Amino acid sequence: MTLAKPIVLAEDNPRDAELALAAMEEEQISDKVVLCQDGAEVLDYLYCRGQFKTRLKGNPAVVFLDLKMPKVNGLEVLRTIKADTNLRAIPVVMLTSSREERDLAESYTLGANAYVVKPVEFEQFVSAVKELGVFWGVINEPPPERACSHQ
Amino acid sequence: MESATNHQAQAPPVHGEVSTLPVDSTPTIPAPSRSTVGWFPVLTIEHRVLAGFSLVFVGILIISAISYRNTNGLLKNSGLDGRSHALIQLLGSIDAVMAEAEGTHRRYLVTGEQAYLDAYKQLIAQKPAFTTYLNELTRDSDEQQRRVDDLNRLMERQLSVESKAITQVQERGVQSVRKMALEGAGRHELDGIHQIIHEMDVYERQAVNRRVFASAASTRHTILLLSVGAGLQLVLLASVYYLIRHDITERRRVAGELRRRGELLEAANKELEAFSYSVSHDLRAPLRHIDGYAALLRKTVDRSLNEKGVRYLQTISDAAKQMGQLIDDLLVFSRMGRQDMLRTTVNMDQLIKSILSDLSPDLHGRQISWTIAPLPEVKGDPSMLRQVFMNLLANAVKFTSTKPVASIEIGVESSGSEEIVLYVRDNGVGFDMQYAPKLFGVFQRLHRADEFEGTGIGLANVRRIVHRHGGRTWADGVPDKGATFHVALPREGSKHDARQADCAR
Repeated sequence: MTLAKPIVLAEDNPRDAELALAAMEEEQISDKVVLCQDGAEVLDYLYCRGQFKTRLKGNPAVVFLDLKMPKVNGLEVLRTIKADTNLRAIPVVMLTSSREERDLAESYTLGANAYVVKPVEFEQFVSAVKELGVFWGVINEPPPERACSHQ
Repeated sequence: MESATNHQAQAPPVHGEVSTLPVDSTPTIPAPSRSTVGWFPVLTIEHRVLAGFSLVFVGILIISAISYRNTNGLLKNSGLDGRSHALIQLLGSIDAVMAEAEGTHRRYLVTGEQAYLDAYKQLIAQKPAFTTYLNELTRDSDEQQRRVDDLNRLMERQLSVESKAITQVQERGVQSVRKMALEGAGRHELDGIHQIIHEMDVYERQAVNRRVFASAASTRHTILLLSVGAGLQLVLLASVYYLIRHDITERRRVAGELRRRGELLEAANKELEAFSYSVSHDLRAPLRHIDGYAALLRKTVDRSLNEKGVRYLQTISDAAKQMGQLIDDLLVFSRMGRQDMLRTTVNMDQLIKSILSDLSPDLHGRQISWTIAPLPEVKGDPSMLRQVFMNLLANAVKFTSTKPVASIEIGVESSGSEEIVLYVRDNGVGFDMQYAPKLFGVFQRLHRADEFEGTGIGLANVRRIVHRHGGRTWADGVPDKGATFHVALPREGSKHDARQADCAR
């Protein structure tokens, strides 16, 4: 598998993160995953600041967002991304435990590109994460490259 | 909540108008056998107010009647007084006229001059009028009437004596009556007349005095009565005012209490929502981890694991999955109670068809004979009703799995005008009717988990949804013979979301 751009995975729960990485490992895309432990880190990454100040410029292939995260939650990150003309094109996939209707509705209203409920069963979880990673990271054609010029 | 609604429903419409009092005022008079303490509190506020106004009304009637009678008496007395005064005046006139007539007559007797005779005749010409007036003014009193008769007789006698004397003068000249002229012809009679007139005068004045006293006393009584009556009315009106005010205050308090409870309920509902959100989000994560790490572990130690180890890991996974299913079912159950309901026409034939196609993966290797009657359209929420029949049909499929040939029937009972009764019948394991009340409870199961899988929430969901539609559910069963589940839905669709009714159950 060739993966040009990184995948940003926002997941505050280290176990969920480990399981997700284990799933992506099977498709050999785990080395492209940038793990952020809260919404603030995601924004830091996108705006090339904080610990990501020196990162390679460019937008990720996709952002997987958990809804419930410390500091800045998933919906807030989503709102920020979709309100920024430089970030708006980045595909955002909500990856969450919540099946609540209002979370679904609000996510789509804010411009989420997909909404996936994490399955309890590991096999299903693995296949879901694998498929998502492959689809958004490999199959899907990302939006044209844009330099991290706003910093 | 329910009791408060009942309380309001019981309150009859207010009809405390005074005009309806004579008919409705019966409750104010307690039956003699009833204790005076016991009856008052059982009266509703409307009856009490009505009773109060009735009493005020009756009081006004009584006072008006008495006032009318007294005023009438006063008017009558004043009329009588007028006559008495007229009589007294008339008596004075008669007294004067008769005295003057006697004097003029005497002068005529002495002088024989025609002028005196003319004057005399003029004076006595008034006599018939006097008599008429006297009779008129004394007709109420027998005693005075008797005196009037005496007076009349004496006047007649005076006039006849005088008339004889005049005749004598005209026939035999003035000389013949000289002696009579000196004494006065009717002198004796005139004294009698004076006497009677004096008696009548005294009598009439006494009568006037008596009436004045009586009138004064009566007026005093009337004033006293009016004051007491007005006081009583004031007290009664004050009591009625107090009753009404008390009632209004009470109603206001109850309304406030209802509002407060509504707010509490809303807060509780919000909390419940937050709770279920938290359950949905947070409770699922550890389960995912249990299952996930069990899977990772199995993969890592795959070769070195013995059969027992594999079974243990499988059990961990299964338990986690089962709990995940339970949580999902509970969330659906909670959402079914909160979710907004649609109200459209649902084509049951199509609904059942689509459910059966969804179920078809579970039907592999099963022999099932389906009997599906033509079904009517019903009013309700399509996705909720789908959930209902999905549960019922899945149950029917599940609980007939022990039979070599399962038979499942979907039909409609001879439905009444009010509701449509649909049923799902199977020839499965059935149930003992003594457990029927438990069937629709949350997490109620009649079978061991290793016999039939399931979380025990499906029928609870069925009942909750049907209740929200304003309908009913019930089931019949015979152990090992089968079960029939009935769903009765109102023909017109429920007028309102029956969510509260469901909460009250």
